[in-house]
Amino acid sequence: MQPKTRPIQRFAAAASKCSAEAAVYGKCIVEDYNSVHKDKCVKEFMKLKDCFLVAKGGK
Amino acid sequence: MRLAIPRVCLPRRSGPFLAGSTRRWYAFQAPGGPIFQVFNPRTKWLQKERSAANVEPSRQSDYLKDEIASRVCERLVDIKRDFPRVLDLGANSCNIARALTREIVDPDPSVPVIPPLSSKIGELVAAESSQSLLYRDANLAFNDELQLARQVLRDDETLPFDAESFDMVLSSMSMHWINDLPGVLAQINNVLKPDCPFIGAMLGGDTLFELRTSLQLAEQERRGGISPRVSPLADVRDVGGLLQKAGFTMLTVDVEDIIVDFPDMFALMEDLQAMGESNAVLGREMGPIGRDVLLAGDAIYRQLHGNEDGTIPATFRIIHMIGWRVSEDQAKPLKRGTGQVNLKDILENK
Repeated sequence: MQPKTRPIQRFAAAASKCSAEAAVYGKCIVEDYNSVHKDKCVKEFMKLKDCFLVAKGGK
Repeated sequence: MRLAIPRVCLPRRSGPFLAGSTRRWYAFQAPGGPIFQVFNPRTKWLQKERSAANVEPSRQSDYLKDEIASRVCERLVDIKRDFPRVLDLGANSCNIARALTREIVDPDPSVPVIPPLSSKIGELVAAESSQSLLYRDANLAFNDELQLARQVLRDDETLPFDAESFDMVLSSMSMHWINDLPGVLAQINNVLKPDCPFIGAMLGGDTLFELRTSLQLAEQERRGGISPRVSPLADVRDVGGLLQKAGFTMLTVDVEDIIVDFPDMFALMEDLQAMGESNAVLGREMGPIGRDVLLAGDAIYRQLHGNEDGTIPATFRIIHMIGWRVSEDQAKPLKRGTGQVNLKDILENK
């Protein structure tokens, strides 16, 4: 019995609303996962993050 | 350890310099070899204390430890003996004691139900360093069904018991956090009476490889580098050698995979935290994982390992080990080539 939801649960709920964007980002990484470097999929990630921030709402 | 006698200074002399005549070193190797520190025991202790402080989530996430404890106990069925005094090393919340008081029901209905194994056991000493976790279930019903003595250990790697004082040592789901595994195994061997078994299970090998790879890829892409998120674990091949080195004989080592499906990566990480199995590797990055990495990690986990139905699998690879303390009157393997019966005949006529 926990009175308020934990931040991680709110995080998970928001992340689950962006499965389409997550799949695009995931595909971008997985298609060539032996040569991942910083910001390899930055465009796809920013789309995912924008969606996540909207889904999370508030702050 | 290396001691050095300070260099003896002699006045400079002319003539050939004699190597070794002016310097005298005294060096010796400490017994037992170097001990590598991989995990932070205090962090592990804190995590266990915290997990036990939240009783309900802690109990709910005991499914893995209960399952592994019952698999460890099933191995006792094959040993036709009674055990007056048994040690459960790294008892967590006494999962082994709980498993011992349960009947063993085989999925095949033709196999008779085996009564609780606690009847074979005189006294069970449950030793654990986290007091809150050890006493979490102290007033549940199973405590009355066997003679259970709880003992809080000062640290997980020193056994404060007399030599040759136990008829069996059990250990489930705790030895993967021990730094000095060879040392602890040798101590277990020491507290066992001759011709008595040690039966243990710990996580090893490819445990949580999905989480490990997803977080590595996510961190590599988001931040351009990785840090240890999942413990380095012992491999099956290592365990046999370790047991042998500790002096056990008649070894049995085998591996089982338990795959648990979770709705998302966050649920998996929440459960690991509630189990008290969060990261305690020395040299890990302090503080929580960044949000970007978490978000990226979940997406990669789904893409790389996800199931058809949208859940994600997490593999727990359990290494089971059995070793016996050496004794004079123990059954020993016969010499090579002394066999009189062809095994092929027996197996084919069966």
